Amino acid sequence: MQALKILVVDDDPVTRTLLAKRLSKEEYQVDTAQSGVDAVRSIADNYYDVVLTDLMMPGGVDGIGVLETAKEHNLKTEVMLITAHGSIDNAIIAMKKGAYDYLQKPINFDELILRLAKIQNLKHLMKNASDLRLAMETTEQVSSETIQNLEMTVAALEERISNIRTILQRAGVSAEERISMALVG
Amino acid sequence: MSLTTPGNISRNTSPNSAAPAPKPELKPIPGMRKTVKITPAEVQLFSKYIYGLCGINIEASKSYLLETRLGRMLENEKCDSFTTFYHKIKSDPSKKLEHQMVDAMTTNETLFFRDTNPFELLKHKILPEVFDRRMGKSGAIRIWSAACSTGQEIYSIAITLRELLGPTPTINLKLMGTDISDAAIKQASYGVYNKFEIERGLPQERLQRYFSPSGETWRIKDEIRSMASFQKFNLMGSFASLGKFDIIFCRNVAIYFTFEDRVKLFEKIADVLEPDGYLIIGATESLTGVCPRFVPKRHLKAIFYQLK
Ligand SMILES: C[S@@+](CC[C@H](N)C(=O)[O-])C[C@H]1O[C@@H](n2cnc3c(N)ncnc32)[C@H](O)[C@@H]1O
Repeated sequence: MQALKILVVDDDPVTRTLLAKRLSKEEYQVDTAQSGVDAVRSIADNYYDVVLTDLMMPGGVDGIGVLETAKEHNLKTEVMLITAHGSIDNAIIAMKKGAYDYLQKPINFDELILRLAKIQNLKHLMKNASDLRLAMETTEQVSSETIQNLEMTVAALEERISNIRTILQRAGVSAEERISMALVG
Repeated sequence: MSLTTPGNISRNTSPNSAAPAPKPELKPIPGMRKTVKITPAEVQLFSKYIYGLCGINIEASKSYLLETRLGRMLENEKCDSFTTFYHKIKSDPSKKLEHQMVDAMTTNETLFFRDTNPFELLKHKILPEVFDRRMGKSGAIRIWSAACSTGQEIYSIAITLRELLGPTPTINLKLMGTDISDAAIKQASYGVYNKFEIERGLPQERLQRYFSPSGETWRIKDEIRSMASFQKFNLMGSFASLGKFDIIFCRNVAIYFTFEDRVKLFEKIADVLEPDGYLIIGATESLTGVCPRFVPKRHLKAIFYQLK
């Protein structure tokens, strides 16, 4: 299974560094962004499985803005928000906008890692499903071409046989003549 | 995570062990729910019942489908055998359970613009021909998606029409989607799709143009939604009430029927197709030997059928 690619977004350098360190230790592939604006830029250039972002950030793009950009860019990206203690209302708004989950500060790392493992599992299942779908689509396309060719060939043969039948049944023409006409047409 | 593995599997496998080995007691696997087993007699009972309701033919080799697809319902209804379940469904005067069973037994797999080719065919050949023929004549052009499932097929047709004709078409169009599954028809008429459904077959551009996001789901815009009407309809029954259609999509449903029922179905379809109308079937389906009233025709990479 491929390691999840995670973007950590937080304007607080201490939290950001700590998160990046912990997640790298778990062998996730981690990038960081130091503001919402910075995150928007990274999301535009890279695909992330997970974006882990602080909800409240200065500079015009907050966690909700990051969430919206990520979802706009790729629906497959899961976004987890980090909220200050007591700002559940905002977290719920974020969930309604398609966030995967939210964590409250102070961050409990074990909890975070558990949730990431869940996402990883989900991604794995989704990949299985899409692999199966792809295999099915390939089979379907190839068999469809075969079937359609057969369908046209059989139809053409049927028409030919019915023409031959008509010719062979024609009155007033000798049997030999009918046979040679039938063979031609 | 650890799964309990039955120990000593090889203990009784020696071919010359005399007495038949006692069946090893299977330990339950944590997290796997115990499913109620179906007996051969019950397989027959349910196959016949389901066939009578919707024509779906469950071959003996596929009887596990009954267990996997109805297991949840048995659990919800607290039935400990398929026989109890049978009597419970039969004695439900509201028929709610019967409908739920049909929902569970039908395969609603579908996607927007499935197979692409039929929609290219519509756009470049069928629709222009139909419009030409109908010029100056009154009466609507009628298009039918005969097993529309959750609506992706008829909405793909609607989007194709919208892109061909613009927002205010002067042509009178009537699009109808029908299916036997209550749940599927309900979703189709809401026009609401989750992210997995929406990701399939729809490029971003069409998604943005014809759908509005609402939370985790997407809703088809009213301009498209209002082009189609939906109705519950059983393809096994009479088509007398339907009237005639210019274009019929009957894709990936006849595959669940017996050969005899397929023959009957396409006979009835031939009866409700306009003399110069068009029939489109699934990409891996064939009418050879099924209905001699139809001739296949090829246009680019797609096949359609017309009456002889
Ligand atoms: C696999 S879907 C096909 C959807 C769509 N036509 C497509 O090709 O993508 C098959 C649908 O046929 C419906 N169906 C099965 N038996 C039926 C019957 N007797 N009458 C009407 N619909 C039926 C099922 O409910 C299901 O939604």
